Amino acid sequence: MSGEEEQGTEKQNADHSDEGIFGKAWRYVRGFFSTMDTAHRDNAVELTEFEARELENVFVLILMGSFMGLPSPPSSLSVELLPHLEHELQVLNRRAERSSDALAEVSSLLDID
Amino acid sequence: MKSIFFTGKGGVGKSTLASAAAWQLAQRGNKVLAVSLDPAHNLGDIFGKELNYKKKKLAHNLWLQEANLDRAAQEYLKQNTELLTQVYSYTRAFNLDMYFKVLRHSPGVEEYASLLILEEAFRNKDGMDYIVFDTPPTGLTLRILALPNISVTWIDRLRRIRRDILKKRHTVYNISGQKDGPETVLPYTEEEDPVMQKLNEMFKRYVSLYAQLSKKDSNYIAVVFNPDYLSLRESQRIIDGLNDLELPLRAGFNNKYTSELSPQADEVEQELFEGKDNVVVNRVPLQEYRREGAYEMDHDVVTPILEGVSNSG
Repeated sequence: MSGEEEQGTEKQNADHSDEGIFGKAWRYVRGFFSTMDTAHRDNAVELTEFEARELENVFVLILMGSFMGLPSPPSSLSVELLPHLEHELQVLNRRAERSSDALAEVSSLLDID
Repeated sequence: MKSIFFTGKGGVGKSTLASAAAWQLAQRGNKVLAVSLDPAHNLGDIFGKELNYKKKKLAHNLWLQEANLDRAAQEYLKQNTELLTQVYSYTRAFNLDMYFKVLRHSPGVEEYASLLILEEAFRNKDGMDYIVFDTPPTGLTLRILALPNISVTWIDRLRRIRRDILKKRHTVYNISGQKDGPETVLPYTEEEDPVMQKLNEMFKRYVSLYAQLSKKDSNYIAVVFNPDYLSLRESQRIIDGLNDLELPLRAGFNNKYTSELSPQADEVEQELFEGKDNVVVNRVPLQEYRREGAYEMDHDVVTPILEGVSNSG
């Protein structure tokens, strides 16, 4: 969204090079609020995104439990779903890389410095 | 289409009774397919014919097939590996190709292969009237019959998690909207999510398979036993297993019965079927030794199953 915004602003710049001082001010105010809006939206979904990632991680862990000795569903389920799990496997891999520092992830999520 | 399963301990005469039933049904003018699910096949020996995984016509109205579990498992895995390599170009990075090689020997694949064969038979493309199954040893049979149920439970759980994931993705999409750049929008509706679609499809398949197996009036499960203690104990396990799976037991065949064994037979039957009035009990007399044509038995094994008539106390 922010990229589109910037492009739009540039276009406006070009089109409205002869706009008055009020027009300019209005544009800046709008830009300011839209950036703020995006930032707030991103903030708002951060936790939900984290939750979704965790669930995806759990989903694939359950499905591929046999990789690490968890009780796993009938192999046929894992086998047939495997081709569609690219995203989830990436999440799992990333999660595994960061697993040694889980505290840092949680504290950054909760804005603790 | 109706199906009949013959289960029991090894050596009690499952295959013989299954072939006799198939033969007698065919003689009565039904189109019959006899399928052996036992990896150690006997069906071909009984009918004196080399069989394989393809249906072979033996006589008018009678087809035989010996399921090849190994082949079915390998074919199934091959299909999925191909799909996998189409989707991921970097399977090696995940070591998934190794995973697949090992998977062939992992627990559950054999059962699943049998299930595929069952499904294929139930689809009944050739319009059979009856399909008679000769089953593998007790443990494997029970695991095969349990698989649809277990899978449904697992899929149900997985679907719940998946639904949560999609809900969260939807929330994220609703709030932050479409983003540019390398980030693509993950599917957030059930219709768009391939994983959910696949889960739903599998759910449907297993539910219908289980429905077919548990239908009282079109699937008959018979347990074969001999009047001795060991087959009594194993038959009990089968009956308990079927009970746990809520699959209906139709008949018990007390095979290799002779009049000298009468007290024993009474005892075994009583222990197995006490309080189970809906189960048909049928005594099959010990047959003469013959090398060929064991399926041409004088004893009628079909009527007890179809019409529910017992011939013993």
